[in-house]
Amino acid sequence: MKSANDKLGWARIDWKTILIFVLLVFIGWLNIYAAVYNEATAAGFQLSSKYGMQLLWIGISTVVAIVILLIDDIYYHLLAYPAYVLMLCVLVLTLVIGKEVNGAKAWLVLGPVSIQPAEFMKVATALALARFASEYDFSLSKPKGLIGTGLLLLIPIAIILLQNDMGSALVYCSFFLMLFREGLNPWVYYAIFLVVGLFVGSFILSPVALLVLLLLLFVASQLISNHNLRESTIFIAGVGLLSLVIYAVSWLAGWELTYYGALLISSFVMLVPALTYAYRRKLSTIYLFGVMFICSVVFLGAVDYVFNDVLQIHQQKRILDLLGLESDLKGWGYNVHQSKIAIGSGGFLGKGFLEGTQTKYDFIPEQSTDFIFCTVGEEWGFVGSLVVLTLFATLIIRLMKMGERQQEPFRRVYCYGVAGIFLFHTIINIGMTIGLMPVIGIPLPMFSYGGSSLLAFTVLFFIAVRLDSQNSIIDSTYKPY
Amino acid sequence: MIGSRANILRWFVVGLFVVLCIRLFHIQIVDRSYRRAAENNVLRYEVQHPPRGEIYDRNGEFLAQSVASYDLMVVPRNIPKEGFDTVALARIAGVTSEQLARSLQSAKNYSHSRASVVVRQMTTEAKLLFDEGSFDGFYTLFRTQRSYPRKIAGNLLGYIGQVNDKIISRNPYYGRGDYIGYSGIESAYEDILRGEKGEKVSIVDVRGTIKGPYQGGFYDRAPVAGTPITTTIDAPLQEFAEQLMEGKVGSIIAIEPSTGEILVMVSSPTYDPDELMGRDRGNNYVKMLENPRQPLFNRAVMSSYPPGSTFKLVNGLIGLQEGVVTAGRRYPCNQGYHVGRGVKCHDHRSPLDLKEAVANSCNAYFCYVFRDILDNPTRGGVMKGGYDNWANYVRSFGFGQKLGSDFASERGGFVPTSDFYDDYYPKWNSLTVISMAIGQGELGCSPLQMANLAATIANRGYYYIPHVVKHIEGVDSLDARFYERHYTLVEEKHYEPIIDGMWGTVHREIGTAGVAYVKGLDICGKTGTAQNPHGKDHSTFLAFAPKDDPQIAISVYVENGGFGSSVAAPIASLLIEKYLTGEVARPELTQYIKDMKIAYPNYEKRK
Repeated sequence: MKSANDKLGWARIDWKTILIFVLLVFIGWLNIYAAVYNEATAAGFQLSSKYGMQLLWIGISTVVAIVILLIDDIYYHLLAYPAYVLMLCVLVLTLVIGKEVNGAKAWLVLGPVSIQPAEFMKVATALALARFASEYDFSLSKPKGLIGTGLLLLIPIAIILLQNDMGSALVYCSFFLMLFREGLNPWVYYAIFLVVGLFVGSFILSPVALLVLLLLLFVASQLISNHNLRESTIFIAGVGLLSLVIYAVSWLAGWELTYYGALLISSFVMLVPALTYAYRRKLSTIYLFGVMFICSVVFLGAVDYVFNDVLQIHQQKRILDLLGLESDLKGWGYNVHQSKIAIGSGGFLGKGFLEGTQTKYDFIPEQSTDFIFCTVGEEWGFVGSLVVLTLFATLIIRLMKMGERQQEPFRRVYCYGVAGIFLFHTIINIGMTIGLMPVIGIPLPMFSYGGSSLLAFTVLFFIAVRLDSQNSIIDSTYKPY
Repeated sequence: MIGSRANILRWFVVGLFVVLCIRLFHIQIVDRSYRRAAENNVLRYEVQHPPRGEIYDRNGEFLAQSVASYDLMVVPRNIPKEGFDTVALARIAGVTSEQLARSLQSAKNYSHSRASVVVRQMTTEAKLLFDEGSFDGFYTLFRTQRSYPRKIAGNLLGYIGQVNDKIISRNPYYGRGDYIGYSGIESAYEDILRGEKGEKVSIVDVRGTIKGPYQGGFYDRAPVAGTPITTTIDAPLQEFAEQLMEGKVGSIIAIEPSTGEILVMVSSPTYDPDELMGRDRGNNYVKMLENPRQPLFNRAVMSSYPPGSTFKLVNGLIGLQEGVVTAGRRYPCNQGYHVGRGVKCHDHRSPLDLKEAVANSCNAYFCYVFRDILDNPTRGGVMKGGYDNWANYVRSFGFGQKLGSDFASERGGFVPTSDFYDDYYPKWNSLTVISMAIGQGELGCSPLQMANLAATIANRGYYYIPHVVKHIEGVDSLDARFYERHYTLVEEKHYEPIIDGMWGTVHREIGTAGVAYVKGLDICGKTGTAQNPHGKDHSTFLAFAPKDDPQIAISVYVENGGFGSSVAAPIASLLIEKYLTGEVARPELTQYIKDMKIAYPNYEKRK
């Protein structure tokens, strides 16, 4: 436990996790160097270049990290709410006197440096949420807990949206990871996945395919709890046959009925025997999935209607662009196209450090910021990408484990909050560069060029490490629960 | 239950990363199309330069032509590592190997990945030879170059040169290596002549070989050729005028009075405009800058001279309008005007009437007139409105301000205001400024303004703003200001006695410029012998012809040429003769003028 000459509790610091963090920072810097590398400018080290500036920020972050490790963890608990309120004020201030970059009024200019307060708001929000969740009667199944959590999240989101910084606002979705761990109803997640899936599906799948998928999904879902393979098969076969019959009849009769219409009618017809069956066998899950099916169909119709009849053409284009369906080769579509080419051309082992042709010749705008992973993919290949992905995954899982071993909810909630933020940034950013995710301009932690983001991730991470390192020290004197 | 949630989350995280890995595996290892795309992925944005608009004279003859030329470009990083045949390339491009090496180094210093010019203005033959060889990293860019068939009108046409960084930062149209007109017509009509640059986007592989147009040429823009301009210049006359001015410093401007069109504009010494094109441009330019006679200075519109006796016409007209003199009024002259400091005059019979005074250029006569205008009691006397009244008249002739011609570099000359004298003298009167009676003193006029005076008198009281562009292809009319008549404050009827006097200058025994006489042309003129602080008097002559149907108005100014009749008048006469009859019947006079060389000790001193 606490040794005599370790007043700060540094012996309990999770050095292995820090090592992973530092490794990622180092690899990130190498890739920024490669991204801005140019034979003509390779003559000497220049502090004014991007890699020089990033090195400066790494230095600043190191100092900040050490300071964080020196502060007693009780202060993080104490300062959680004041920090949250302070950062809210700074956000509002940014809204008033901030500088606009790429359409988002999200930057504060302080002398020679520009700072993006939204990056630091994440830290404050994580701390405030942890503080709130650590109150003794806190529960996510009670209205008070839900409303409080919702407010803590929605206020910063609203201000950031007012700054027109969509990417930074979306990052707050990452707290759903922590909320799940803290016991938010799983149906919320089921519903979220369903809504997102349906929304995306309505654009990339044909209506018939989507309907078939929905039917199979719900039948399979009830199958898991009811173990009624025979009845389920009969239901599916019934819907299929009936739809064909209806379609054939309508064709012979000369009605203008599409197969989608036929399938929809037959599935609603087949709901009648299904619900009767559920009533007889007292299988409540079937009611639930039946209702969800109807809701989904209505939702799909609504999406269709809103998209085609309510939204204006430029809004439609924006959505299609976000989903990567209609690539505008002059806008973001171009970036993703080039980014995939760069990463794809890396092959198994990559082209080698500083040898990337795509990344070096300025094909990809935002090369050193949002699209920094292109450099990894092109110069280090599949192997290098795998190493980076593994490091990120390990870091995030270690952060979650860190959360698990805390005895106090404050520490656990904070650790999970941090893990969620890292996860969201990593998956969205890398997913974007390989065309899996919509283009949302958020940085890759520790990799993307930019002082605010590096510093914010450093603060997030080292507060978690600090909280963890004092966990067992307090353990001896503090009686939890 | 909690534990299981932590587990679900762990698997969720692992699952997400596995999805990313699968996708990476797919695009990096399974799908080979990305590697191929990367090979052919380099886009090259090539500027397509339009041919610059041609410049014609008033009869459709070329003054400036555009001929094809090619710039040799390089993208340093595409040069093969093992090097290339420098000697062969230098030979094709027509430069030495050292020059080639030097420009290659400066291209590398500028950028490794961006294109720079290595050799400018290669001929079409050189370009074809280059295409036969294979020089990775190099390519040629079509440009046009100016060529001047008659090698005349250097200052008038102006020259073109590469844009500098200041222009690039001010005007987004221009990029490194673009050309822009720097003076004369090339500058004034830059927007029309330059056309619109195009752009070609090609796919180039990583080794710099063109694979074809990007997206089927969807993003290409074709260049729009520059619009040709027809000028008002009469090329043969301009050439003749330049020959006559050889060996002399000064200027000639001839205007068609009925339109304001500039027929001839010579600023001497002139230069061969071809010298400011091509590879020797830099050297020649420096040489011209260092030439003490300043060939790049367009004297015709930029200089300001004392007008001398030609200005007596203006004072005479004002006097008639003000009623202080009549055509029949006689004044005595005994070798000058002997009031105050006095103004000397040459020896002639006395007294003279107004017409004779113009023809004979009597100084005393115009001193009387000038003082009467200024001291006119109905105008309040010289210091209380009399002077300003006179100055207003003078300005109505276009003096003291820019005329608004299409020369951006035009200067306005100087007509002092009464405030100007109030600042100088606590008390002054018409005698203080008496030298302006004969066009001396503080007055400053540009040769263009003097030619405009000739046109104004030829028109009997109005002028069109002199201009050098007659027609722009595809444009129905010029700027409205060139179609507007500018009337002087002197009524039409008062011009006749003055014009009779000018006719007398050439045709009467008493006239000062009998030398200008050409049978049947009815030339009206006025000599001027302008004193100046830089040495011998300037020789000037102002004329128009024929008297009753003026076709041409002209002003000749020869620095340090002595009497108006000695150089300026014969030049004007020869030009009028050539313009009106199409030929010159006085070969001896022509040869005499061409051979005349005037010494300019003051210019040589300045150096």
